[in-house]
Amino acid sequence: MDDLLADFVAETREMLEASGGEIVAWEADPSDRARLDTIFRFVHTVKGNCGFFDFPRLEKLSHAAEDALSECRAGRREADSALVSAVLAIIDRISEMTDAIEAGEEFPEGGDDELIAALQGSDDIVVASAVMPEAQPANDQSDADADRGDDSDSESSAPKPARAQAVQRSIRLPVDLLDEVMKGVSDMVLARNDLSRRLREAGEQPTIDGPFDRLSTILADVRAAITRMRMQRLEHLFSSLPRLVRDLSNELGKQVMVDFEGGEVELDREMIEMVRDPLTHIIRNAIDHGIEGPGERLKNGKREIGLLRFAARQAGNQISLVVSDDGRGIDTGRLADKAVAAGLYSQSEVDRMSDRRKHLLIFEPGLSTANEVSSVSGRGVGMDVVRANIERVGGSIDVVSKPGEGASFHLKLPLTLSIIAALTVGAGGQRYAIPRSYVEEIVFSSSSNVEFATAGDRRLVTFRDKRVPCLALGDILGIDEIDDAEWDSKTLVLIRLASDDVFALAVDRVFDHEDVVVKPIAPAVMETRLYAGTTLLDDGRPMMLLDLPSIATNRLHMGEGRTTEVVEEEVIETGRKAVPIMLFAGLDDRKRAVRLDMVRRIDTVSREAIDIEGQRAQAVIDGSVFTLLGLEFGELPENRCRLLRLTDGESEVVYAVNEVLDAADMDGEIIPSQDDPLIEGVTLIGDSLVPVLDGHALFARQRVQRRTQEVLSCRIPDDSDWARTILEPLVEAAGYRIAADDGEDADVEIQLAETVRPERSASARSVIRLTQDPHTAGADGDTIYRYDRDGLLAALKQARLGRTA
Amino acid sequence: MTDLLLQCLVADRHAAIPASDVQSVIEIEEITPIPGTPDFILGLTALRSQALTVIDCSLALGLEKSVAEDDQRAAVVEVEGHLYALLVDAAYDVGEALSQPVAVPGGFGAGWQRAARGMVETESGPTLLIDTSSLIAGPMEEAA
Repeated sequence: MDDLLADFVAETREMLEASGGEIVAWEADPSDRARLDTIFRFVHTVKGNCGFFDFPRLEKLSHAAEDALSECRAGRREADSALVSAVLAIIDRISEMTDAIEAGEEFPEGGDDELIAALQGSDDIVVASAVMPEAQPANDQSDADADRGDDSDSESSAPKPARAQAVQRSIRLPVDLLDEVMKGVSDMVLARNDLSRRLREAGEQPTIDGPFDRLSTILADVRAAITRMRMQRLEHLFSSLPRLVRDLSNELGKQVMVDFEGGEVELDREMIEMVRDPLTHIIRNAIDHGIEGPGERLKNGKREIGLLRFAARQAGNQISLVVSDDGRGIDTGRLADKAVAAGLYSQSEVDRMSDRRKHLLIFEPGLSTANEVSSVSGRGVGMDVVRANIERVGGSIDVVSKPGEGASFHLKLPLTLSIIAALTVGAGGQRYAIPRSYVEEIVFSSSSNVEFATAGDRRLVTFRDKRVPCLALGDILGIDEIDDAEWDSKTLVLIRLASDDVFALAVDRVFDHEDVVVKPIAPAVMETRLYAGTTLLDDGRPMMLLDLPSIATNRLHMGEGRTTEVVEEEVIETGRKAVPIMLFAGLDDRKRAVRLDMVRRIDTVSREAIDIEGQRAQAVIDGSVFTLLGLEFGELPENRCRLLRLTDGESEVVYAVNEVLDAADMDGEIIPSQDDPLIEGVTLIGDSLVPVLDGHALFARQRVQRRTQEVLSCRIPDDSDWARTILEPLVEAAGYRIAADDGEDADVEIQLAETVRPERSASARSVIRLTQDPHTAGADGDTIYRYDRDGLLAALKQARLGRTA
Repeated sequence: MTDLLLQCLVADRHAAIPASDVQSVIEIEEITPIPGTPDFILGLTALRSQALTVIDCSLALGLEKSVAEDDQRAAVVEVEGHLYALLVDAAYDVGEALSQPVAVPGGFGAGWQRAARGMVETESGPTLLIDTSSLIAGPMEEAA
């Protein structure tokens, strides 16, 4: 409801803004029919909306205005200046009331009738001027109310100036001029910083410090204002999209949800306007061609409702905007056929194309994959126009598509002038900036939940169940080599790219969050593909801004700018069908492997959390008890133990290891091994034979209790201390639930032979009788000595089997 | 012919940069290195709120780096909207070109040939006229 209300307020305000000019024009010429229509539509819409929201006063006002205006439209009444004034007064009142609704305030009573009456009396010229002051105090009143909390709304006219509701005035300015002012302000900030440093060095000087602080504050304000002059949050663009998506999906009989991310990214106003049309087209395309109808989606095991996702990130002088859908993906076959049919390529040329190249056909002029020309897209204006428009503003567009999973369009837009939130990090004694929008998390390598591993030359880091590639900044920049020992001293910055790929960046240290003004860099520096721009530190020294997407693309072949080669490489990889495994050193330090799918996570626990007694070994992790395996190979380390938490999907066990070594792909065969039942076999990883744990045997041996198993109930005598304190834990350990008192039917009932069994209403399916006398036990066949543990457990097991059989 | 030239010393040779290209001559105090860039790009230095890319002229010509002196002077030039500081061994006065740049039979030598527009006569003798945009492209250009 709140959302709807906010929509209502926003819509009303938007219309007010839009009709502002119309109202003025209408005032100048009341007979202007077009203006009259516009204003009529406004009050009409407001009236409709109010009815829905139950704002009787707004409805009454707008209804009255609508009536009067429709009289004029029907020609039954002349629009004279009195009427204009009266209508204007009502529109003003609507605007004030909307403000009050938004602020959640009560709009003061009264005044409405006068306004409505003013609409009627065409002979009363003074009405307008009489009404306006009426409206003003009311407005003041609402301000005053807000100040005073909820005081009465009776008295009027607090001597306060009315809220600035004047029509916003605007002038046009050349962008160059703005740039120049911006540059000037930046210089001023630097001069201020310089001065500030000198003042600090000179010690405290109250006569100077005060004014200097004031100067700093003013400067900060000016800087903020100047920045705002050019920038607009992407939200402004995003906010119009849900409606568009809704209309389109209704038209096409599809259901589509929208998801936005990065609405806070700011973009040049001009740029926002430039991308509006291309973006609209991409959305049309996605809904029309990409997202399937609800029926087809259900059939393919997808959610009925399609998802359209918008993610914006800022990277240096670029905004990257990814629009992805979870539809059927680009139909490369049909696209290729069309390209051939349109005579753009020959069949043989198309045959030779990689899938990726075929995807790019979507940007070729004159292609549309829709069979029928619908009213939404496929009107000949295709993605080629989109690409042309994006490229015209200096951006680029790319597409990634997976059949059946959806397509995503990656837009990169330049940013002539930008201030971005950055994280400053250090490497090799120098500072670098990372756009904060990419930073997901900062972790210290030394922390216990961070695990390093190497796969070939690639370093991997496991953090919170995620294994991601790890790059050292010093290494990327070629300023220092890191030996293994140094990794622990690094700080890891987890970077999430707009494409949702994650990697870890190891830096010497993380300094600070800073808002930085990004300046373009020289082409020769750009060529390194490491930097997105440069910025100045507070002390005036330059600092480079890292181009993370580009680094990720070059170093890890991930990210937005996938090259053709990389895509092809991927295909080969998936064709090889490798099974990921985790290599570890067991307690005897011998290398073993376990299928990665079985590893839920790696835990490190202190030795106290592990309890071993005879055959039983258990570990406590986060308040849960797990069976501990892997102990047959050696002694647990003294203080901290590393445990692999393995799962078969339902139950979990932990496996003690000395060290987690690596992740690898097992692409060879497993040679079965007969001798060790816990080993599935051995396989060749690199050049060494590695035993692979047999998951089946591990879990089979443990008879681990399935959590989902139906719990049988057991009734024990409730009047015996022995039963409660000694029997009950045993029964529970055997997997039974202690039945509640009389009311419930129990699966098993344990009776004590020596006590008289009270009459119960509820029954038990089987009965176990316990006796205190070891000699009578077994004599009559079904009585068990109360300390015959095995006998009791066997009986309980028997009962369970009988039950589940 | 009244072209003004900034006369300077690059790799122990007299050279000149068209004064119309030069915004100012600055003394460089501190250079922030940019890892990963070619050698001739020394790094960045700040001039007011601008970051300048510092180019070592000798290295950019493919010559040996001259011995660093305390007095690091650089000519600030703008090429295609980017500001560069061209680090020279020494910067002298602005003088008048007394002739058009001319080629010399046999060229000026491998490095110089690419970045020089020709030889001009000045009051202090023959001087090579540096073409700033070829200079900042660095010695890598032929390789690329």
